[in-house]
Amino acid sequence: MAIAAARADARLTPRRSEDTAARRIVSIIPATTEMLFAMGAGDRVVAVGSYDRFPPQVEKLPRVGALLDPNVERIIALKPDLVVLYGTQADLRMQLERARIPFYPYLHHGLPDVTETIRSLGARVGVAAQANALADRIEQQLASTRTRVAREARPKTLLVFGREAGTLRGIAASGGVGFLHDMLEAAGATDALADVKQQSVMMSTELVLARAPEVIIELRYGRVDAAARDDLKVWNALASVPAVKNRQLFVLQGDEFVVPGPRVADATARLASTLHPQAFR
Amino acid sequence: MRRRIAVTIAGFGALAIAVCILAPLVGTTNISLARVFDRSIAFADNVDAQVFFVARLPRVLAAVLVGGAFAVAGVVFQAFLRNPLASPDTLGVSSGATLGAVIVITFHLDVAVRGVSALPVASFAGSAGALGVVYLMSLARRRGTSSTVLLLGGVALSAFLGALNRLVQVLGDYTDVFRSMRWMMGSLDVGSYTDIIVPLVPMVAALAAIATLPRVLDLVSLGEPAAESRGVDVKKAERVALVSASLLTGSAVSIGGPVPFVGIIVPHIVRLIVGADHRVVLPAALLFGGSFLVLCDLVARTAFGPAGMPVGAVTALIGGPFFLWLLFRKFR
Amino acid sequence: MTRRSASQETWPPGAFFLRRERRQKEPTLRTRSASTPILLDAAEVSFAYDPRGRVVVDGVSLAVARGEIVGLLGPNGSGKTTMLRLLSGTLTPTRGKVRIGEAPMGALSRRELARRIAVVPQETHSAFEFSALEIVMMGRYPHLGAFELEGADDLAIARDALAATGTRALESRQFTTLSGGEKQRVVIASALAQAAEILLLDEPTASLDLGFQLDVTSLLARLNRERAVTMVVSTHDLNLAASLCTTLVLLKAGQVLAAGATGDVLTREHVRALYGVDADVALHPRAGHLTVVPLARTH
Repeated sequence: MAIAAARADARLTPRRSEDTAARRIVSIIPATTEMLFAMGAGDRVVAVGSYDRFPPQVEKLPRVGALLDPNVERIIALKPDLVVLYGTQADLRMQLERARIPFYPYLHHGLPDVTETIRSLGARVGVAAQANALADRIEQQLASTRTRVAREARPKTLLVFGREAGTLRGIAASGGVGFLHDMLEAAGATDALADVKQQSVMMSTELVLARAPEVIIELRYGRVDAAARDDLKVWNALASVPAVKNRQLFVLQGDEFVVPGPRVADATARLASTLHPQAFR
Repeated sequence: MRRRIAVTIAGFGALAIAVCILAPLVGTTNISLARVFDRSIAFADNVDAQVFFVARLPRVLAAVLVGGAFAVAGVVFQAFLRNPLASPDTLGVSSGATLGAVIVITFHLDVAVRGVSALPVASFAGSAGALGVVYLMSLARRRGTSSTVLLLGGVALSAFLGALNRLVQVLGDYTDVFRSMRWMMGSLDVGSYTDIIVPLVPMVAALAAIATLPRVLDLVSLGEPAAESRGVDVKKAERVALVSASLLTGSAVSIGGPVPFVGIIVPHIVRLIVGADHRVVLPAALLFGGSFLVLCDLVARTAFGPAGMPVGAVTALIGGPFFLWLLFRKFR
Repeated sequence: MTRRSASQETWPPGAFFLRRERRQKEPTLRTRSASTPILLDAAEVSFAYDPRGRVVVDGVSLAVARGEIVGLLGPNGSGKTTMLRLLSGTLTPTRGKVRIGEAPMGALSRRELARRIAVVPQETHSAFEFSALEIVMMGRYPHLGAFELEGADDLAIARDALAATGTRALESRQFTTLSGGEKQRVVIASALAQAAEILLLDEPTASLDLGFQLDVTSLLARLNRERAVTMVVSTHDLNLAASLCTTLVLLKAGQVLAAGATGDVLTREHVRALYGVDADVALHPRAGHLTVVPLARTH
C-alpha cells in the first residue's frame, strides 16, 4: 500500500531532470478538458469524457466515459501518457497504476481551485508558461469584476441550478460551499444559503419564503431559449419573496455556469452584470 | 359491526383532522396564526400566510392523499395476493411510474406544456403501462391457476422495470442520476393545489370502486376457491381490485414520488389496532395512512436542518425497524 | 349398520347410478325414485384444464339424492378434486352438463349457488388474523345484500354452527392458532352457516391425525342424521368412505369404474382395479362397517 502510494506520488511529481511533457492526454472531466484546450495543449488531447462539450473541437475526439463509467479498456488502448481523472475514482487509479500509465487526480472544492488546477496541470503537461498566463488572465478578470461591484450593495441572492419545469418542485440550489457559491460572492451578492454547508441544497418552498431572497438567478445549461424565461412565472406563487415582488428573477443559460473551468471568469462577469447592470454600462 | 365501523371512522377521522390542522402550524419557520389569518395584510406581503397556504398546507394535503392512497392500495394488494408482505409495488406499478420519471429526467424531456409539467404525467403514464401489463396478466389467468402465478408475474415485471430504470440512469450524467435518486425518495412539497386536484379524480374513482370490495377482501384472503364457494365472483373482483389499487398507486406516485414503506407497514399497524375485518381496516387505513405520512413529512421537514430530508428517508427510518419487529413477532 | 345389499342386481332405493364399462360409451340411463329428489347431478361431464391437454374428467355421470353421503373414491390424479369443483360450479365442464335440482348450474348466480352448495376444502390458510367466529360469519355472505352487515340472526346462526361442530369454545381464538382438527371443524361450521342443503368436502380428514379423523367422521355422520345435510365427500381413505358414505363412485383416470351402494361397490376386485392393491374387504364386527386392509401390491 505504502509502496503504491509512493509510486503514485512519483508519477504526480516527476523529477525535474526528466522530460515530463505529456503528448497523449486523456481527460474525462469537462473542466480539465476546457483547461487543456485553453492553455494551448488541445492538440495533445487524444480522448475526452462523455459529457465534454467545449470547445467544439472535442466533438471529433473519441469518448471514453466519465465519473461513473470510465471505459478502462479504451483508455489503455489509446496508449496515453497522462490520464486526467477524478480524485475519487479509486478503481480507475488502481487499474492505471497496474498498467503503468501516469495520471493526474482532479480534486475540486471552490473557485480558487480552478486557477490552481490550471497552473499545476499546465506544469505537469509541459505548457507551464501558457498555463500560468491563462491562470493570471482569469484571476485578473475576476479581480476586475470584484472591483467593479465593490461599492454596490450586495443583494441576498438565491442561485438555482435545477427545477422541475412548470412547477416549484425539485428546486436545487447552490449552497454555501463550492465554486458556484464563490462565483456568486465574487459577482457582488450575498448567498441566501451561505450558512448551509452543502454544495447543493434541495429547497422547499417554505425555505425560499423563509430566506426571502432579493434576487433569484436560475442557471441552465444548453442554448438560450425563450421558454426558460417564460417559465420564471412559476415563482409568482411565492408573492412575498422580495425577488418576486421587485421582479428580480433572471435566467442565465450556458455551459460556462456548470463547468468550473477557464470560463469561470466569463461566467462570474455575466452574473455580476445581471446583478449590477449599472456597474457594467 | 356497524358500531365498530362507526367508532373506527370517528376515531381515525378525528386523528386525521387533528393532524391536518396542527401540521401546517409546525415547521422550521416561526409563523403566528394570528398573522396568517390577518386579512388586513395583503396576501402578497404576508409571509406567514404564504408559508401557511403556499408552502405548508398543500404539502399537508398532498401527504394525506398520498399516504391514504398507498395505505389502501397496500391493503388491497395484501388481501388479493394473500401475502402480508405485498405492497403497492409488488406488481410493478411503482417501478413503472419510476421508469416514466427517470426517462423524462435523463433525456431532459422535462418541459411544461400549458402549465402542466411533464414529469408527473410521465410517471402516471409509466404506472398506467405497468397497470396494463398487470391487467393482461390477470385476464390471461387460466382456470385453476392460483394467485401465486399473478404474484410471480408481478415480481418479474417489477424486477424487469427496475432493471430498465437502472439502464436508463446509466445513460444520464451525474446531475440526472442525482435528480432521479432524489425523485425516488419522494417529495410532498407540491407548492400548488393544482398538483393535488388533478390526480384526485382518478383517486376518487379508484376509492369508489374499492369501497364495493371490503367483504370480498375478507373472503378472498382465505383463498380463491373458498371465496368462490361462498358466492364471490373472484375473477371480476380481482380485476376491479387490482386496477383500482394500481390507479391509486399511480396517482399517488405522480404527486409525491414512490414514497416507500407506507403501503406495507400502515396496513399492518392498522390491523394490529382494529383487527382483520377489511370493512374496518380499509377506512382505518385510508385515514391512518394519511395521518402517518403527514407526521413523517413533518419530521422530514423539521428535524434535519433548514434543507430537511426527503420524506421517503423518514418513512424508511421508521418503517424498516418496525417491519423487522413485525416479522420477528410473527415468525418466531 | 350394514351397507351391503343382497345382490349386485338390486339397486337400493333412493340412489340410482350407472355403472360404466371402460370401453363402452353408452348413453346414460337414469331412473329416479319419486320419493327421493336428486339435488345435484352430472350428465356425461368431461373436463380438461388445458384444451389441448389431458382430459381430467371423462364422461362422468352421477347423481346425488337428498340425505345421501356420496363418496368419490380414487387414486391420486383420478379426477376426484376436479369432479368436486365441477359439482360445486367452480369449473364449467367442457362437455356435458351439471344440474342443481331442475336447473342447469350456469342458470344460477354465484350467490344463489352458494346458498345451496357449500364447500369444505382440504386445507384453509388464512393470511390474516381472523377469529374462528369471523371465519364462520363469512359463511353468511351469500345471504346478505351487497352492503348489508351481519345482523343478530346471522350471529345466532354462526354460533349455532360452531356449537354443532363442538367448537363454540374456540369462538374468539385466532383461527391460525388452532390445531388441524379444530381448524377443520371451524371450516365445517362456516360451511354449515351457509345453510346450504349440500356440502361438498375435499379430503376432509387427509391432514388430520387418527383422533381428529374420528371426530370429523362422526361429526359428519351426525350432521347428516340430525340436520339432513346431503354430502359429497372426495377421499382416498377407503375406511373413511366405508364408515361414512352411503353410496360410492369409484373414479379411475377420470372415468367411473363403478358406482352404487357402498356395500356393492367396495369389493376386493374393485380395490384391485382402482389401486393395484390386493386387499381384504370385510365387515368389521365391532366397527359396524366395511373395512379395507391392504395386503400386497399386485403390479
